[in-house]
Amino acid sequence: MAHITINQYLQQINQAIENHEGSFCAELLSFKHPHVANPRLQLASPEEKCQQILEPPYDEMVAAHLCTYAVANHDFVEAYKFQTLVVSFLRAFQSHKEENALPVMSAVTLDLRIFANNAEQQLQKKGKGQPGEMLEKAAEQLMSCFRVCASDRAGIDDSKKWGMMFLSNQLFKIYFKQINKLHLCKPLIRAIDSSNLKNEYSPAQKVTYKYYVGRKAMFDSDFKTEELLSFAFDRCHRSSQKNKRMILIYLLPVKMLLFQGHMPTHQLLRKYDLIQFADVTKAVEGNLLLLNEALSKHETFFIRCGIFLILEKLKIITYRNLFKKYLLLKTHQLPLDAFLVALRMMQVEDVDIDEVQCLLANLIYMGHIKGYISHQHQKLVVSKQNPFPPLSSVS
Amino acid sequence: MLFEQQSEYFFVCILNKGNYFNHLLNLFLNSTQLQSSRAPSGGWRSPRNKQQCQNQSKTQKNEVEAEDQEKEIKEMAPRASCQTMCPAQELWNRESQNRLHCFEVVPGTESFRKPKGDPLRAVKEYSRPAAGKDVTKPSYLRPPDVLLKTVCYLIDEIAGSTSLHPWTEVYSFVFDRLRSVKQDMIIQRLSGKDCVAILELTVRFHIYASYRLCGEPLRIFDPRINDTHLQEYLNWLFDCYKTGTGPYPNQEEFQTLGLLYNLGSSPATQDVLELPERLRQTPSLKLALAINQAFLEGNHVHLLRLVQKLDFLQTCALHRHLVTCRRHLLLIYSHGYHSRNCRFPLDRLAQLLSLEPSLTAELCQVYGIEVNQHNQVLFSKSAFTEPEQGELDCKLYHSIVSEKQRGLTVKSIIHGCT
Repeated sequence: MAHITINQYLQQINQAIENHEGSFCAELLSFKHPHVANPRLQLASPEEKCQQILEPPYDEMVAAHLCTYAVANHDFVEAYKFQTLVVSFLRAFQSHKEENALPVMSAVTLDLRIFANNAEQQLQKKGKGQPGEMLEKAAEQLMSCFRVCASDRAGIDDSKKWGMMFLSNQLFKIYFKQINKLHLCKPLIRAIDSSNLKNEYSPAQKVTYKYYVGRKAMFDSDFKTEELLSFAFDRCHRSSQKNKRMILIYLLPVKMLLFQGHMPTHQLLRKYDLIQFADVTKAVEGNLLLLNEALSKHETFFIRCGIFLILEKLKIITYRNLFKKYLLLKTHQLPLDAFLVALRMMQVEDVDIDEVQCLLANLIYMGHIKGYISHQHQKLVVSKQNPFPPLSSVS
Repeated sequence: MLFEQQSEYFFVCILNKGNYFNHLLNLFLNSTQLQSSRAPSGGWRSPRNKQQCQNQSKTQKNEVEAEDQEKEIKEMAPRASCQTMCPAQELWNRESQNRLHCFEVVPGTESFRKPKGDPLRAVKEYSRPAAGKDVTKPSYLRPPDVLLKTVCYLIDEIAGSTSLHPWTEVYSFVFDRLRSVKQDMIIQRLSGKDCVAILELTVRFHIYASYRLCGEPLRIFDPRINDTHLQEYLNWLFDCYKTGTGPYPNQEEFQTLGLLYNLGSSPATQDVLELPERLRQTPSLKLALAINQAFLEGNHVHLLRLVQKLDFLQTCALHRHLVTCRRHLLLIYSHGYHSRNCRFPLDRLAQLLSLEPSLTAELCQVYGIEVNQHNQVLFSKSAFTEPEQGELDCKLYHSIVSEKQRGLTVKSIIHGCT
């Protein structure tokens, strides 16, 4: 591959096209394939050669591809521009009945996104251009490919609908870079949910898909997030340590919030290099001071991952656990002062009786405590049976 | 030259192949970087000293690119030459069509059949973009310095005027004229410091208005429309902060206002959390984050206490969430104190809600909560009901905001002196 001539390369593509070998054709147009290292394929103006051997529109498409990696070494912004041409040609013949276009589409759109990413970084370093501009353009291209796939009417074997999940995943990767673009995921999710191919995609694609949809659900405070992220984690291949870690980063806070009985073991955290969660896990059992310290210590990491806010929600649970642990007394009438002392011990600053009452009222309202506050007696009166219902039973 | 060959080639293709090549040609011709960078690059022309030429021409290429880009931006953006707040042509048109606003006419001519336009008071109005309308004519566009002067006029002489009434009319006029300023900014692709000064004034105006006109009938003031525009201005302003070179001395103030206005919103909170450390540690932003956190935790006692530390405009920004906060507090207390013998002192509740006791009793009534004749609140979770549409008049409970206005004039508030 690294030594073939331009003619041989073009002949191979031509053959692949004529024999409907979609995957091989895709390889010849992908940047992951060794042919990109071949200097003989880096021509000044490949158009003529391409025209000689290939039929339109493949001639321009391959020509654009050859231009792309000729400049890729210098400049990703350039590479991106040429790759855009490749994709736009692809869209043109997508509207014809071309089977096996899907592997080509997958390879080419993947490269488009990667170039857009790199081009963004290059522009940022030079301080030029609007942030997000290149990715936005790439997203538009991918979105039109998605529409072509979604509206394909061919029979299920030849249908371009098989490309929908791959494209969605590519688009998710772009949209998730900016919080205010997340709403753009909705039409994609809707389209896939309503398609009959929903469960038939490859496991790898499904894992990626559920990971992103799970994260979106988390952002929307939708309880489905646990189910989606768990699926992704369980089905993710054992060897993809990095991916499993990424899923865990979002699955752990959700599990801690919804199923407080299921705290991650220290072993698990060590295995996936997520020790940041260790202190948080321990703190939720009732140590408010430790929780505040843990959140502040790893603030940067949690904020960057976008889970800082959801972890702060654990505070309520921690209050509940603190009160329950600290006040396992025989009496069912607990003076409010005792709670105040408990909080002061946890170094919660400037909290007074009024705030204690507010906290307790909140816990009662949320169902974490069964009882009521008596203002006259300055006491919390709890139910004799089960004053602190198990957390998993409280929504 | 390579480029000429290329364009010829594509031109031929267009004649032969039709539609999607048009699309391609557009792509090609619009990516002017392609044009400028293909030419000097050594690697294309002389394969012999490829490496040398590439290295040399790479720096050349970068320089040429940078110049080209700047030229592009300046050439692409329409030029603005209108030195008055209102283009002369528009003033003449509106005068002859009797479409001047009463704030724009020469005083004394209001009752004339055709009031005379005052060039010192007329301001370009917002006009919907329409096909065939050329909005880029230089004589119609106001350059950044004129735009800033226009905004200052609108704030000082109109919004800040003590003689123009009613303020709803003042708001409508200023709202529309600011929208036109925004249009001029967009058409000229303004960015950086020019934009920031104008946007900051505009944001303060809209935040103040959201409080001042609270409770006015919908046909006169729609809080949702004010909100939509305010969010747009905020987003644009924050974009300028992010992409511009700065320094922006007011950034702390506006990030704070943005968070308070969008209290409890995950995207707004995440945006603030992602700000650089030195900004997040400023006193006002720390306070705003603490208030936001209290809101998310449902700790409204703590929240209402922290609110006392906010200044007037900040409280205006937060004001639309006060109803939610107070409602939530009454709701959780209805549950938390639910018992047959509940007797919660009204005075205490008044303190917690930052309201007068009499108003507290009224508020309880609105939510179905009983207050007995000894001024004791009988909380009960079954009693709590949502108020009817229109039953809750937010304005009645505004003292927490209004008491901070004291001697401040509208003009000074919008210029940021709170």
